[in-house]
Amino acid sequence: MIAKAKEFITTIPVNKVSIKDLLSFEKSPRNMLVAVLTVAFIALFVIGVANYLIHSHHAYNVTRQHPWGLLIAVYIFFVVSSTGLCIIGSLGDVFGFKDYELISKRAIFGSIVTILAGFAVIAFEIGHPVTMLIYNVLSPGLTSAIWWMGTLYGIYLTFMIVEFIFLLKGDMKSAKRFGLIGLLVGLAAHSNLGSVFGFLNARPISNGVFYPTYFILTAFITGIYLAYIMMGFRYKLDFSAEVKKMLEGLAKIQGLLISILIFFVAWKMLTDVYGGMPNRAEVAVHIFHSWTFWAEVILAMIIPLFIILRDMGKSPILFFWASLSGMVGVFFMRYNLVHDTQLKPLQMMKIEEYQLPPEWVHYFPSMTEIMISLGGLGLCIAMYYVGTKLFNLDSDH
Amino acid sequence: MARYGMALDYKNCINCKACEVACKEENGVELGAEKHRIWVGSNNPTGIWPNLDITSATFVPSQCQHCEDAPCQEVCPTQATYYDENHVVRVDSDKCILCSYCMNACPYDARYVDDRTMTIDKCTFCSDTRLARGETTTACQNTCPTKVRTFGDLDDYDSEISQLLRTREHFSLKAHLGTNPKLFYLT
Repeated sequence: MIAKAKEFITTIPVNKVSIKDLLSFEKSPRNMLVAVLTVAFIALFVIGVANYLIHSHHAYNVTRQHPWGLLIAVYIFFVVSSTGLCIIGSLGDVFGFKDYELISKRAIFGSIVTILAGFAVIAFEIGHPVTMLIYNVLSPGLTSAIWWMGTLYGIYLTFMIVEFIFLLKGDMKSAKRFGLIGLLVGLAAHSNLGSVFGFLNARPISNGVFYPTYFILTAFITGIYLAYIMMGFRYKLDFSAEVKKMLEGLAKIQGLLISILIFFVAWKMLTDVYGGMPNRAEVAVHIFHSWTFWAEVILAMIIPLFIILRDMGKSPILFFWASLSGMVGVFFMRYNLVHDTQLKPLQMMKIEEYQLPPEWVHYFPSMTEIMISLGGLGLCIAMYYVGTKLFNLDSDH
Repeated sequence: MARYGMALDYKNCINCKACEVACKEENGVELGAEKHRIWVGSNNPTGIWPNLDITSATFVPSQCQHCEDAPCQEVCPTQATYYDENHVVRVDSDKCILCSYCMNACPYDARYVDDRTMTIDKCTFCSDTRLARGETTTACQNTCPTKVRTFGDLDDYDSEISQLLRTREHFSLKAHLGTNPKLFYLT
């Protein structure tokens, strides 16, 4: 058994890579910019983490009224990206769409590095991560959406790694099997992440079925944006006919998904406002007045959809840029989700004389939170880059 | 084995804050901490000067509502928040991972981070202190000069709180959320 496991591991096709190989890349302005930003982000991560270790949560701008801040939003951003890439990777190797096999290996690898980046960020938001690992097992809170989300994501990561190994080995049958289970577990985990917010009956703006379903939809959308970004960098925006065909197909799917998302969001906001339900309607009106909501709508929905509808996704280069806009919009989507949930104070009475009753909860991330968040992005890019050197992420045929 | 609850004759509250001081002293709450364990909220009088409705200017003592269906307990991923044998919602600080989910889930804003233990704490009805010593009252009840608070066993038919709840009209905060609080506000 051990010998078999050893053989399984030693036969994984991995390129031998030295530090010199890692530093040898085309020194084009674009590559240099990405390299410098990545190194700078990782440096910020180190500084941010050091500051957190010294000052604990006091290094963050989270408060009793707003206990979840930027790091939770960034964690969600990364795990949504992971689930999205898992869906994209599964199109080819699980569901057998030949056109999308081109990106399977790259997308599955992307799903692994994005979730690892998410875990790296959340490790510094959870106050006691080691306690979490111990008591998640010893005394599981089965009624907790966070427990299910965390546990399922752990299982999902395992399946993604095994699927990726089988893809590297060219064992498509096993990859399909593990990929399907990984996808189902990933979707369940992701839906549970939505239910972390959906279960909050103290927060009428988030409570309900919307987030658990919306998370799956937005994951798919995020996956397509990332597929474009990864393929754009891989082929330096000079796509072969085969890649173009795949990207065109993805753009068409994206057009449909963004349209559905616009319906989802429009009706959610309208039903929130309609009828003036206390603690929900005024929060929705407040959201309408925030620029971050419109940043989400314009960058993640309007711009990409407009570009797709121009020529039904036949301009992959233009949509590469739209995908960058889309990912910035998706970041705001995650930030808004976390912040808007906590906009309304739960206790509305004043507790001191000469004080006004509480109104809206204000939050802006601290420098430490911003540094750790950017660091997550730096780690993600660095892991992906190392992966492109270590593994053959292109399709074998 | 009991099912502890508290009735609050909140219109008697004079906002002297003796309950907050007693709670801090008894339970070792951080000095200077605001809204830790218990607090007294106040409503501004409604209406426009000079036609103010002075009956609306009430003080409302508040704290953990020790819900029968506590959202903070349901959402805890490690069962750090649990019900003890007296149906009191308690926190096992060894298991708390400081994920803050309970802070977001509690509709009463009753959970807070204790900076000394770096865990999320709450009112325990003096379970670790007075009740553990065999006393039958909480610190906040014991010190209240206007007898706002009545603490006791809801399952005991003859307890003072049971009699109060049988004879006085009362309401619970955010009752529509289905949390079934064990704090009752007498009207």
